[in-house]
Amino acid sequence: MTTQTKHHFSLFKLLCTGTALAAVLGLIVIFAGMILYPTPADLIDCLLSEEIRFAITLSMVTALISTFLCAVIAIPAAYSMTRFDFFGKEAANILLNLPLSLPPLVAGIALLIFFSPVLSPAGGLLSAMGINIVYTSAAIVIAQFFVNTPYMIRSLRSSFSMVNPRYEHTARTLGCSEWNTFVQVTLPMAKSGLIAGIVITWSKAMGEFGAVLMLAGAIAMKTETLPIALFINMTTGDIEKSVAAAIILLAISAVVLIAVEHYGKGRGVDYV
Amino acid sequence: MSEADNTGSMTDITNPQCSYSKESSKNCLTIENFSITLGDFKAENLNLKVGDGEYCIVIGPTGAGKTILLETIAGIHRLKTGKIYLHGRDITDIPPELRGIGIVYQDYMLFPHMTIGDNIAFGLKQRGVSKEERERQAAEIAGKLGIGHLLGRYPQTLSGGEKQRAAIARAVILKPKVLLLDEPLSALDNTTRESLRRELKKLHKEMHTTIIHITHHFEDIYSLADRVVVMREGSIIQCGTVEEIVRKPDTRFIADFTGMENIYAGICTPLSNGTCEIEINGLKLYAVSDRSGDVNVGIRPEELIISKEKLASSARNSVCGEVIKITDNGIFSKIAVAEEKSGVIFTAALTKQGIESMNVTTGDKVYLTFKATAVHVF
Repeated sequence: MTTQTKHHFSLFKLLCTGTALAAVLGLIVIFAGMILYPTPADLIDCLLSEEIRFAITLSMVTALISTFLCAVIAIPAAYSMTRFDFFGKEAANILLNLPLSLPPLVAGIALLIFFSPVLSPAGGLLSAMGINIVYTSAAIVIAQFFVNTPYMIRSLRSSFSMVNPRYEHTARTLGCSEWNTFVQVTLPMAKSGLIAGIVITWSKAMGEFGAVLMLAGAIAMKTETLPIALFINMTTGDIEKSVAAAIILLAISAVVLIAVEHYGKGRGVDYV
Repeated sequence: MSEADNTGSMTDITNPQCSYSKESSKNCLTIENFSITLGDFKAENLNLKVGDGEYCIVIGPTGAGKTILLETIAGIHRLKTGKIYLHGRDITDIPPELRGIGIVYQDYMLFPHMTIGDNIAFGLKQRGVSKEERERQAAEIAGKLGIGHLLGRYPQTLSGGEKQRAAIARAVILKPKVLLLDEPLSALDNTTRESLRRELKKLHKEMHTTIIHITHHFEDIYSLADRVVVMREGSIIQCGTVEEIVRKPDTRFIADFTGMENIYAGICTPLSNGTCEIEINGLKLYAVSDRSGDVNVGIRPEELIISKEKLASSARNSVCGEVIKITDNGIFSKIAVAEEKSGVIFTAALTKQGIESMNVTTGDKVYLTFKATAVHVF
């Protein structure tokens, strides 16, 4: 009876756990190396520099706007994909998932061609109307929005699918219209997942690089978001500034992770 | 057919069985040529009439379409063809929020982000009733259902019985024209189920609401039903009063459903001290009941003690007969015995070992002994 309950030494378990711990250690060493690379005084100087403050503000504002636009599209789209049957739903599902495995650079070049005044009729039309998207801060918002909407739809779908439709049925029989049921029952019940999905999308928008680089370019003090600042300063050899931008992005990721853990506890939040 | 009639004259054409009993004179709900397809589920040409104030119980195996029938009456699913009338008004295309039909599910569906009080008052809020009035009415109905002290609590902290009381309160506070109950008692333990069943009976009596109630418990039928509807594979296969369903049942299904394989119709004569004598096709059985006249009798197979010799026992009933069939389902065996004079067939349940040690085979003469209390009269 003792042999069955006793824990034996297991090489398998040791190897697996050892690998996990090694991976964690690797993360700590690498990121600590980056954080500790500049002297604290240099780092504070960089964080307070006009360029980095500009990048922080631009990233925050563009990410807020693009996340808001994502939510405007993703909330109804995700709800529809969860609850309703419509013609072409399967195909729509595949198409919406495609960008998830696509490098953002590809989305970026497609956007660039679409909005180019020279290369496409749509861009030409906008240009004729006096609207120029390419290499502006509007391009940053569009690139973030375009890349992140499919992620957000997927994330919100899992939140909505966790609300039993019978709650909605019951609300309807109690005199609640479709709209009111959504606002009074579905949204509050999916709240945790929705907040988590929105926060993750915002942090992804803050860090979006490939698509932004293609459509908005890397123009210092104009389209210089945090990842673009990191990139520009790296190419000009100002490693301290790059590290300052990187540390801010790292801090945002950490805060988002904690927030999502908090809001999404046990609610099956899709981290995408 | 322009409108549902009030007298039920249409009944004979559509489906003679599925109309309400004669006592309730007014029609409440009429379902005409109901057809619906939902995923793999399909119902064709279903007809049903429910009388005003009637307590209608729907039974049937899983997948029969009982819940879909209820949800369609509530307006959740759209009919492919057919019409639904409520008090003569065509409600087929009316959205659920305008139908005045309430629904209560087995798993309560109380909104987790609202207190019990807000849950109960939810429907009144949609109607624009003032906060004070909502609170007054919610407190009143909650008090009636014995959950008046729970109004400030959230659903997650309540027991199953309390949650179901709250869900019922939330539906009846709007005084629905029809109340739909989808296995409201199934998730509860026996004691709670029994007390809530009494509560439902009381509620129905007081409010005269028309109720359609899906159940898997035969006890619900005995104590609540005015009429029983049996569904299978998207159609109504039988419809009638409790007595009708039991007396001329779709035998196999009702038998499985009740677990009471020995169901007979008989005539009951009261004896002294609360017992009675029931005559079934010439065979006399003793039971504990104060009924007299025509009754139905049910005896569960496991209540019958089978023996090769007549038992010296205090049990009131002892019959002798011939084993006509032995069946085995892997866990226990069933022995069908035909009583020697009346031919009444009894089915007893026994373990396999029991059969082996008794060494009974088809054609053997055996005795069946059972207590008067084992004979269930209804």
